[in-house]
Amino acid sequence: MNRRMFLASAIAGVAAAQQSDLPEPIRKLKPMLDGVQPITAAERAARVEKARRLMREHRMSAIYLESGTSMYYFTGKREPGQAWILPLKGEPVWTPADPAKAAQALRDSSVATGTLGLEEQVRFAAFDGLRKEAPALEAVSATPVTAGCRMIKSPAEIALLQRANDITIEAYKAALATLREGMSQRDLSANISAAFRALGTGGGAMAIFGKYTAFPHGSIQPQQLREGDMVLIDDGCSVEGYQSDITRTTVFGKPTKRQREIWDLERRAQDAALAAAKPGAACEGVDAAARKVITDAGFGPGYKTPGLPHRTGHGIGLDGHEWTNFVKGNKTKIEPGMCFSDEPTIVIYGEFGVRLEDCLYITENGPRMFTKQSPAIDQPFG
Amino acid sequence: MPQQTTEVSTETYRVRIAKLQEAMKEFGLRAVVLESGPAMMYLTGVRWGRSERTFAVVFTQTGDPAWVLPGFEEMRARELIKVGDDIRVWQEDESPYQRIAGILKDRGVALGRVGMEDSVRFFVFDGVRQASRQTPKLEYVSAQPALKSAGVDLTPPAGRGGRKQ
Repeated sequence: MNRRMFLASAIAGVAAAQQSDLPEPIRKLKPMLDGVQPITAAERAARVEKARRLMREHRMSAIYLESGTSMYYFTGKREPGQAWILPLKGEPVWTPADPAKAAQALRDSSVATGTLGLEEQVRFAAFDGLRKEAPALEAVSATPVTAGCRMIKSPAEIALLQRANDITIEAYKAALATLREGMSQRDLSANISAAFRALGTGGGAMAIFGKYTAFPHGSIQPQQLREGDMVLIDDGCSVEGYQSDITRTTVFGKPTKRQREIWDLERRAQDAALAAAKPGAACEGVDAAARKVITDAGFGPGYKTPGLPHRTGHGIGLDGHEWTNFVKGNKTKIEPGMCFSDEPTIVIYGEFGVRLEDCLYITENGPRMFTKQSPAIDQPFG
Repeated sequence: MPQQTTEVSTETYRVRIAKLQEAMKEFGLRAVVLESGPAMMYLTGVRWGRSERTFAVVFTQTGDPAWVLPGFEEMRARELIKVGDDIRVWQEDESPYQRIAGILKDRGVALGRVGMEDSVRFFVFDGVRQASRQTPKLEYVSAQPALKSAGVDLTPPAGRGGRKQ
């Protein structure tokens, strides 16, 4: 979901949430933003210093960022049309995101030669313009610097992520209490959005019913909820820019034996990933641990369906998906302060899919879930 | 804000692609790489939310476009792709950029200019240029003049991208 769109409507939404046409469980919700502590200027300054340390390590003379989550991370600002340049030495500079002006700003900061790190979301057009305007600079990816900072979360960041997760659980509880025969997946999605608005934040989630739960990202096919359908909801909200990402899968009505078995298998896979996410272990080991549970039950192997067609988890922070991933081949060592999703989906096309997704953060003593895992197919919340 | 319609026929997309291929010859582009976005929508009808997982289409001067997309999205993507059956998936532990480099190699684009659409993100471009290191004679330039000349509508469409799983 594009969260910013939800944010734009959040204020209007508080009023809307009081309207009587909303289902009772959503009408009862109250904003949950009391006591939220924004990131301080001192913390942002420390981030900039760490960025400089990494720039030195990776031999970058400057990094160039345009509007986006990394700009927000370092500056606390979202400035469409502006670029933020951090030279290795001297003060950071704001400039219009125009290659000629940016090149001038670089020269003014005595950055004329060497290596310029471009933030990874910067458009090709910016790269193309900068190489013409500042031909002596070599453009490389700034990701070792930006991700190097952002991957390790501070206690203040973890507190914001915690709040986003807490709000999401409350929104999901209220929305799942509105399930009714015949409702469409869009009705449920709208209820989730309304619940987030009532809770004081921008957020939303996709909803998938029945056999379409096998599609990890849902289907545009119209769906009407029927007794016995699997119900999957996935996404979240943001607090001070920090994102949540939670999935719950349950059944509308009484689960069949098959639904229960696959759900239980999914839960065991999620547990196996959690147990493997120890500081010092390689990220790929977490994927392997979850995948083994699923393949040992006769699914897969590898990414083959029926089975687990994607990685087990992703990093999360100011972006819902960010560095680094629980994926085969990722030998990055897990470190305290990293935050991940744990979400090994089981996909059975033609039948249904099950995904349980909770996010976790790494402490010195091991992984901690932000949220209580779903205890059973008919109990989405612990 | 342009309305999305499903009225555009496959034939129309083929005509648009042929027009782009003419412009590519005129501007000396051996290939054009697009991520999902307005240009992909206009040329192929495929609408796909951008995420960290690369979803791209590569045009060469002749032949149908070639697609690069995440393996687990293949079923959903195939429902949308109307033109081109050269679909190359990358699994989660594989590189989408190797797939793009592979298309260039298989289609004989070993030297000359490769046009990148202006909104292609740096990490995608950087991935492609690194995956194509064995073909150092490729030069990456902006595809914008050719796209504009071919009348490609670059207006961002309404709607939102997705990031889920």
